[in-house]
Amino acid sequence: MKEFVYDVFTRKERGDRLQHVGYVDAFDDETAKVYAWTTYDEEKWFEMCVVKRTNVLPVNRTDGLFVAAQKAAHV
Amino acid sequence: MSETLDTTTLEGAERDALIRLIITLADSKRLMGIRYSDWTLGAPSIETGVSTASMTQDEWGHARLLYAMLKQLDIDPSPVEHDRPGEEFGSIAALDHEREDWAGTVALMTLADGALSTVLHSFAEGSFEVARTRVPKMLAEEEYHASLGAAWFRRLATSEGEASGLLKAAAEDMLPGLLAWVGADDAAARAMVDAGVIGSADDRLVAFRDDVRDLVALVGVDIDAVEPAADWDEGRGRTSGRPDEEACERARGDRNRALLVE
Repeated sequence: MKEFVYDVFTRKERGDRLQHVGYVDAFDDETAKVYAWTTYDEEKWFEMCVVKRTNVLPVNRTDGLFVAAQKAAHV
Repeated sequence: MSETLDTTTLEGAERDALIRLIITLADSKRLMGIRYSDWTLGAPSIETGVSTASMTQDEWGHARLLYAMLKQLDIDPSPVEHDRPGEEFGSIAALDHEREDWAGTVALMTLADGALSTVLHSFAEGSFEVARTRVPKMLAEEEYHASLGAAWFRRLATSEGEASGLLKAAAEDMLPGLLAWVGADDAAARAMVDAGVIGSADDRLVAFRDDVRDLVALVGVDIDAVEPAADWDEGRGRTSGRPDEEACERARGDRNRALLVE
């Protein structure tokens, strides 16, 4: 079963910075949202969102997680 | 929305009907939690296991809130939760036994949990005040269960191998009982409709069928051709049978009786 990495971002209060809190592996956007909500439930988040890692475009790095995700997506 | 039900004036059959409705919902929620908990270890991925653990907690929280509604009828919920034998449980038949495979659990997640949400929607819009205030929060949490269930249902239904067949078999096994329960139309159910506590049997059935039609069609099941089960037990408000004894022991908390904290 093919799965994708989704990075999870949250903010605790309105006006807080959106912070990266971790990631989940999921086979589609809907499951990614549920997995993120049930996995990172240590706080009562004001906002949570997920981003499919392959949709993050590296700007200055030529190595690292996001570059690897881009390469894997275009294999 | 209906006028508010005055529970202090409820008597006889109408009062018993409300008790039956609350208990069948609460018992089902408790058993639903047990069936999710069976998969907190052994689900297809760690994330799915974490989600089933979370859903277990949701279901047990919902059960607690539902049992507590009995206080509105001057009934102490504690003996109801902790002292009843399995043959008095009102939980839906789909939850009587642990599902042997993940496909069966996905069918529970979409169809059985979905049936509970259909009736809870109706309950939340009715005349019983505490249902109006407490059930919407449950239904908000249930949206995650429905979303995960639907995603997994579509995934398994369209996959190669045996998963689709297992899903179809599980759906065909549980749907007749679920339709009988959602569309309950015996004297007690009609008393609740007349009192404005829930909507009509037809309305509940239409809502449930609409919710699951497209999903079950993916495995070749026509929801409009499925007949409700006929083995209705009017006393408990469910079809015949009972949950297995181990599930009842877990639901009652038998092993933790000495540590019970209310």
